[in-house]
Amino acid sequence: MIQKKVCMLGTFAVGKTSLVRRFVESIYSEKYHTTVGVKIDKKVVQLDSSELMLILWDIEGTETEHELRKSYLRGAAGYLLVVDGTRQDTLYKALALQTRVNETLGPVPFLLLMNKLDLADQWRISERETAALREKGWEVIQTSAKTGFGVEDAFHGLAKKLSGA
Amino acid sequence: MGIPGTDLMTASDGQSVVDEDKSEFSSDEGTMAELRSLLLGPAEAQLAQVHERLFDPQRQVEEVSRVLPDAIAVRSRQDEDLTTALAPTVSAALEYSVRKNPQPLADAIFPIMGPAIRKAIAAALSGMAQSFNQTLAHSMSARGLAWRWEALKTGRPFSEVVLLHTLLFRVEQVFLIHQETGLLLRHVSAANAEVQDVDMVSGMLTAIQDFVRDSFSTRPGEQLEALQVGELTVWIEQGPQAILAGVIRGNAPQQLREVFQETVEKIHLQFGSALKEFSGAAIPFVGTQPLLEDCLQSAYDLEHQKISTGRKLTPLRVILGIVLLALAVWGFFWLRDRRRWDAYVARLRTEPGIVVTDTGKQDGKHFVSGLRDPLSRDPAIMMQGTGLDSKLVVERWQPFQALTPDFVLARARKSLEPPTTVGLHFNDGLLEAEGFASHQWVLETRRVARLLPGVSQFREDKLFDLERIENPLLMFDVNQTEIRSDQQEKFDQLMADIAHLRQLAGEKKVRLEIAGHADGSGTESKNSTLSQGRAETVAAALKANLLNWPNLTIATVGSKEKLREELTDADRATNRSVTLKVIVTDSN
Repeated sequence: MIQKKVCMLGTFAVGKTSLVRRFVESIYSEKYHTTVGVKIDKKVVQLDSSELMLILWDIEGTETEHELRKSYLRGAAGYLLVVDGTRQDTLYKALALQTRVNETLGPVPFLLLMNKLDLADQWRISERETAALREKGWEVIQTSAKTGFGVEDAFHGLAKKLSGA
Repeated sequence: MGIPGTDLMTASDGQSVVDEDKSEFSSDEGTMAELRSLLLGPAEAQLAQVHERLFDPQRQVEEVSRVLPDAIAVRSRQDEDLTTALAPTVSAALEYSVRKNPQPLADAIFPIMGPAIRKAIAAALSGMAQSFNQTLAHSMSARGLAWRWEALKTGRPFSEVVLLHTLLFRVEQVFLIHQETGLLLRHVSAANAEVQDVDMVSGMLTAIQDFVRDSFSTRPGEQLEALQVGELTVWIEQGPQAILAGVIRGNAPQQLREVFQETVEKIHLQFGSALKEFSGAAIPFVGTQPLLEDCLQSAYDLEHQKISTGRKLTPLRVILGIVLLALAVWGFFWLRDRRRWDAYVARLRTEPGIVVTDTGKQDGKHFVSGLRDPLSRDPAIMMQGTGLDSKLVVERWQPFQALTPDFVLARARKSLEPPTTVGLHFNDGLLEAEGFASHQWVLETRRVARLLPGVSQFREDKLFDLERIENPLLMFDVNQTEIRSDQQEKFDQLMADIAHLRQLAGEKKVRLEIAGHADGSGTESKNSTLSQGRAETVAAALKANLLNWPNLTIATVGSKEKLREELTDADRATNRSVTLKVIVTDSN
């Protein structure tokens, strides 16, 4: 089976860990975030003709892109950039983060996940903003870790990009 | 080479011809050209080729590149001039290369650097290691003694104790991890080793290395080399493209590090291109399995075992051996005696009616003290067969009365001495007697029972007092052997009581002795006959009413033993009677 290192990125409390919690295999507790700053999980994605094993580096959320430990990005084949749809600032921080990651990793595949879709009434990211991102060529997926909406699609979408399909 | 040389000569000849005949050349150029083409025609193309080879730089480069390796080889064999000439350039080139990017060079020489450095260090350390080994060997002898003692104490074979203590290490798992991505390339584990999800562990190991490197601002090239958790150690061996991580239980020797290092080097050597091209597929690394398995080593410290068992005899060792043997023998007897004593005391503690309050050893003798109910088993008898020497045991017992039901009952039996026809039961403070007994015993028991420790109540509902049969007198008129007619009711009651007795007696054999009496008037012989007659009358009456139970015997008392002193007529009437006595004839 092909393995790929994938990073989960985003600022504080956007729901990265919640996104992976229900959908991946895990042997490490969430304490690792506050100690080592990263937690490794595993997700096997079934593609049309093969399986892809994603080794997820769920990296501790930082307030600014400068606090990101770049060494954890090393060797990543792709990443999921997570924002909290109810907090607009998380989107702008994610944009800065993406720039920084791009400097380190180069143009590797990634997806932007707008999480917390279950709180639709508190949604703070406009259709226009989303459309602008898509125009930029970004793939944006709306997710809810709470209901599970879009999460499988997100992992599957990234896996597909990584396998070159 | 011969032909181009000839062409060259021809060409120069042709030129001189032209120089000498310049006027003719100019007047009739067309003729000359024709002539030239006639003369040189076949060589002209070759000439052009030569020209190109001589003056085209690109062609020159190609020409030189073709002969350069051979030329270098030939010249190198001749003398050192080429080496001398190249040295500054090569060194400048290396310097430039390192300055530009040291990584490729470091990667290239990595497989040879390791062994070279290790060889040098090993030579330097070997002297030091020798003296260290001696120190270790000395400490071994004391440890050897300790192990023997432990084996003696625990009853385990010495060899087992040594193996237990000499388990040095076991490599339980080996991870081959891609340096850049932290992805697992290959994993092997020893039999029975506990293995978590190895893909995640591989990632986490890499993350921890990154974490340590980032957090403690190490210098470039410095890496996490070991993690230690309890008796588990993770040794991490770095290579340019891959990391080897070994999970080790126990204390592994430094040589194992070398095994790990060599394995990393071999893997880089054999799988170098696969490592460089790695993009997530671990299949090319299946071939690393045997190399990784070679790292799954384990070792027992058998060398030290040999040292401790097979060294030369010295006077000190002989004395030590004798002392050890004496100690072992003494220890054996001490332990055996101790176990016997403990077993005996344990039995005393569980014995009813005995309460052990203190045990110990005093002046080389065991002692035990406590309380003992006189009815309990004799400790002296209990000691028989335990192997303990009674002369070396001091026992101090204070008498006491145990209040457990068994003991209350036993004490009741001892003091009441019930006849075989009486059963005693005790429960919850209540002493109960059933069966039948003499009136005297019943009276005695009533008095004594409630004084017994532990007995608060005495019940005799099921106890038949023989007084009911032995007390009534069947009376007769003067000089008569027929039962007085007013005695009928008494007689009927007697029959009923005898029937009751029969039920209680069960299988027991009972005899009824019928004694005839007479008053003091008249002669003794007359009275004897009279009393005999009276007894026979009663016997006949009983026989008629009872069905062969019990056995009846007749005793003639006459007037010799009077029931009463005859002071009044009533006394004399009493003496004209027949009495009954119940005798249990059962031998049991």
